[in-house]
Amino acid sequence: MNSKAQKKSIWKTIGKSREASLVLVLIVLCVVVTIMNPTFMSIKNIGEIFRNNSLTMIMALGMLCVLLTGGIDISITSTLAFAGMTIGLLQKYDILHNTFLLFVIAMAIGIGCGVLNGVIISRGKVTPIICTMGFMYIWRGLAYVISNSSWASGADVAGYSDFGQSAGPYVILVVVYVVFFIMMKWTKFGRKIYAVGSNAEAARISGINVNNTLTAVYGIMGLLAGLAGALSVSVYASAQPNMQYGKEMDVIAACVIGGVSMSGGRGSVVGTFIGALIMAIIAKALPLIGIDSIAQNTIKGVIILVVVILNVITQRMMDKQNLERRAM
Amino acid sequence: MAEEVILELQNITKIFPGVKALDNVHFDLRRGEIHALMGENGAGKSTFIKVITGVHAAEEGKMILEGKEVHFRGPRDASDAGIAAVYQHPTSYPELSVAENIFIGHEKMKHGLIQWKVMNDEAAELLGRLDADFGPTEEMGALSVAQQQMVEIAKALSTNAKIVILDEPTASLTQNESQKLYKIVRQLRDHGVSVIFISHRFEDMYELASRVTVLRDSQYIGTYDVDKISNADLIKAMVGREISDMYPKPEVKIGDELLRIEGMSRTGFFKDVSLDVHEGEIIGMTGLVGAGRTETMESVCGITKPDAGKVFLQGKELHIHKPADAMKEGIILLPEDRQKQGLILSWGLNRNVTLPIQEELANHGFNDNRKENELSKKYLEEVDTKAVTIFEPASSLSGGNQQKVVVAKALAQSNMKVIIMDEPTKGVDVGAKAEIYGIMGELAKKGYGIIMISSEMPEILGMCDRIYVMCNGRVTGCLDRGEATQEGILTLSMENSAKHEHAETEAHS
Amino acid sequence: MAGKSGRTIQSVKKNSLRSTLLSWEGALAILFIALNIFNSIISPSYTVTNVLREMPKYLCEIFMLFPMAYILILGDIDISVGSIVCLSATMGCFVCNTGLPVGLSFLTCLAVGTLCGLINGIILTTFTELPAMIVTLGTQIIFRGIAEITLGSGGSVSLKNTAGYNAIAGKVGIVPIVFFLVIIAAVIFTVILAKTSFGRKLYAIGSNRTAAHYAGINVQKCRLIVYTIMGLMAGLCGMFLTSALFGANTTTGQNFEMDVIAMAVFGGIATTGGKGNLVGGIISAFIIVLLRIALGQINLNSQLILVIIGALLIIAVLIPGISSSIKAKQKMRAVE
Repeated sequence: MNSKAQKKSIWKTIGKSREASLVLVLIVLCVVVTIMNPTFMSIKNIGEIFRNNSLTMIMALGMLCVLLTGGIDISITSTLAFAGMTIGLLQKYDILHNTFLLFVIAMAIGIGCGVLNGVIISRGKVTPIICTMGFMYIWRGLAYVISNSSWASGADVAGYSDFGQSAGPYVILVVVYVVFFIMMKWTKFGRKIYAVGSNAEAARISGINVNNTLTAVYGIMGLLAGLAGALSVSVYASAQPNMQYGKEMDVIAACVIGGVSMSGGRGSVVGTFIGALIMAIIAKALPLIGIDSIAQNTIKGVIILVVVILNVITQRMMDKQNLERRAM
Repeated sequence: MAEEVILELQNITKIFPGVKALDNVHFDLRRGEIHALMGENGAGKSTFIKVITGVHAAEEGKMILEGKEVHFRGPRDASDAGIAAVYQHPTSYPELSVAENIFIGHEKMKHGLIQWKVMNDEAAELLGRLDADFGPTEEMGALSVAQQQMVEIAKALSTNAKIVILDEPTASLTQNESQKLYKIVRQLRDHGVSVIFISHRFEDMYELASRVTVLRDSQYIGTYDVDKISNADLIKAMVGREISDMYPKPEVKIGDELLRIEGMSRTGFFKDVSLDVHEGEIIGMTGLVGAGRTETMESVCGITKPDAGKVFLQGKELHIHKPADAMKEGIILLPEDRQKQGLILSWGLNRNVTLPIQEELANHGFNDNRKENELSKKYLEEVDTKAVTIFEPASSLSGGNQQKVVVAKALAQSNMKVIIMDEPTKGVDVGAKAEIYGIMGELAKKGYGIIMISSEMPEILGMCDRIYVMCNGRVTGCLDRGEATQEGILTLSMENSAKHEHAETEAHS
Repeated sequence: MAGKSGRTIQSVKKNSLRSTLLSWEGALAILFIALNIFNSIISPSYTVTNVLREMPKYLCEIFMLFPMAYILILGDIDISVGSIVCLSATMGCFVCNTGLPVGLSFLTCLAVGTLCGLINGIILTTFTELPAMIVTLGTQIIFRGIAEITLGSGGSVSLKNTAGYNAIAGKVGIVPIVFFLVIIAAVIFTVILAKTSFGRKLYAIGSNRTAAHYAGINVQKCRLIVYTIMGLMAGLCGMFLTSALFGANTTTGQNFEMDVIAMAVFGGIATTGGKGNLVGGIISAFIIVLLRIALGQINLNSQLILVIIGALLIIAVLIPGISSSIKAKQKMRAVE
């Protein structure tokens, strides 16, 4: 009986330690940076961190869902560029200037792109990375084509960009995170995503429509990418066909650091948030503690590798301990 | 009341691309009865079950549930109608908790939100009814197969099912665990639940079922009362012919020592295992699932690294670090899981057979296709594989024939001295089983040393010269052919744990 | 014990012309011919001389197609190769600008590439639990990051002395040297994959890694070798890219990994491993290169090519699924 109780508590700590250890990393990071440069912990600084990384943080939630199902989506920043470019052009040619409607349009485009991904992946049985790679080219290419490779400048989006400088992005960020936290933990749909990622065949047998779930997941990813596109134009006060180029990898990296498994079934909203935050803080803190921002990417890459390798090593050590305890 | 038919299926026909998986099948199930469904692999049992549970839609036929004709459009409809299934491989979600696994698809909701506390409490109650030794919040992936099976049964109970289908539930259970399962199934029956039970083990059927329906080659053969049909007749119904000698163990003169293992240990898996096998000898390794038999042999063959131990071949000590080293010395392992470990299913038979030796056959690194094809044809024919060409993908063969391909793959390694067969007849139907035993006998006659790992008592008793019994990672005994009995083996398979505990208490006092 | 039932198994294979033409490679070959006709209609300057002149800057990507095909067949992936190109080109340029012999600069490109590939390989084979996607995502960021640090705030470097690099950008008659090298590499890589026991091992590992391990194949050694070769070829690509651009910057080689993977997948190589061959991959690579050249000649928005590649890719991966579901339906009818 004694050994059983012991086993239980160890499994529990393993289950929870992931997020706990992430929080620890976060705290240590903040403390170290603050000691080296006390200006780091200012309201203005923190505000900037959230504003500048709101895109990654928002898209990371969609990526969380996609990764949970065992998939991946590398078309998101192309979707973002296509949606963002579209609303940029609508303003440039004075067709529409209503901020709310522009957001709706961008999100609608995003959903369309995402659902297309979802349908091809679920119904067409195409590997997610290949399908989304195809659309990565297509939406990015279309963003160039519709804009004829030109920009929508700050003057073009003058009224619209006020939103990006207001409290708007923070409100969106908070709302999206609260909605996802509830959705993933307390709704049937959230649990379906986990079920499909954990064992798709079992999910099918127990009556979950796997194809529809996948389509919805990629649709959500698209929706968030569209939303990020609208935000991007607003926050950075311009729309360019090459915007956020290559940033899909940052989004994936944020999830991975946050403990989301690439093979599906494992990951949480809280973890994703912390993962994205850790990356954001590192980007912000490097110049503050005197490291040339040019080294930012290298350090980011090293952190990704260190995190995943540390994970493997701790897992191996835990396995070994379990075996030794089991041993006679 | 006892005769009341709860579920009836008439003239069910199901077509898959290229094959008729079910051809005009009948079935009826009475309320509160345990009904066995038997047949060889590929007879259509699993497909039939999936028709009942709405996973597949039948092309023809009627399904009548409690007097009303029903049409299931999906698994949802079936579970709403009170039919629950526990599939062969636990269809669980390893990353989710036990409670979630139980309630997936019918979570306890309030205001559109999941009620975690209610779910955990109810799950705990269900698990309590089943006498489970684990809680609702544990992660599914951390449980043993038997425990996972219990969760699956709890899942069936949680839907208040009227009909419960168990698809080979005992396949990966130990004797003890099977007994526990029998108890649960009888409990279900006494509560008025009807049970459909699929199994390869006659033991299960005699223990539980009152009637048995036999399918063969996608067709309905008949339904019999269990106490009125003899075992031989039942086998004949399943196989379509009589099997005269199930275990053709030849009398072979035992020669010199081939392989000797001394003090093999790997932390957490097995400890201090020693055994030996001689020319022409078939030795058995048995014990409960998880006793460390497979793990021991995998370490001998270099698949995993042992912590300690010596391996001698014909008196000479070997140093095996990777699978290729063992193969070079002529120690060949036929792994337990044919589909995952033994074969490349998408490949032709020829390439599967020559995979371990393709580097030797190659000419300055270039593949010699002609030689490969000749060799593979020779060995595939030697083990009498049922295949049309050597280019057929391995996935197109039945389980028994796939096993023969794995044997051919071993034979193709000309330096083979010792062949280790891990559960060679697992998932193989009765007819092909006899053929595989035949091959083993022939190999013994030729002077190879054979180690058979098996949990099936009859084949261990029927085929082996000596039987090593393992328990909790240790060898607890070695019985000669003459002295081995089912009871003797069972005692040894469980002895160590008792002894061990005893020793521990002694040490403490 | 031979053949108790006297059953024999056929060992002769029938290969018909029809099945060759109906294969994916056959379809690609037809598409290749059709594309050339189409190109010469839409673009008056689509001549052999012109095409060969414009080809070099597109060709160097193809060097990476070969090892990438190996990696995909292994069931792995490498998304760091674009960054390896950037890093090796950067280092090559710096070495060249110090005034050292140009041969050393070439060697630097190749050595840096090989080292990067080796690093990927070592991490992946030491921590086998890690998915290749994640590891090479990390190294993708790191390798480019190191290039960024090396390039400094300007973010770019130009060759001071282009003589050496001009030499490898030279021609034999009208045919660029790099074209010959691509063809030679194509032949070598194709033959190794299709005809040798090493190639067979790659397919075995990609089809079923566990079964390959049980069959005595040293899975991790094969992976290490292939990842290292991938690095070497990325270095080669970086070297020839430098000879076409006479410099490097922080965006050199960006997205090359996607281009190369797209070529391979369009050529019928599955990212799930064990399937496809280099013949298809090479034809599809040339289809994409020629399409780029033709579209460039008629002054179409150069980014339209992205839309076309994307669409081709999606259609290509959808076809097998659709055709098999049609076949399944036909079979279904046949049984009824």
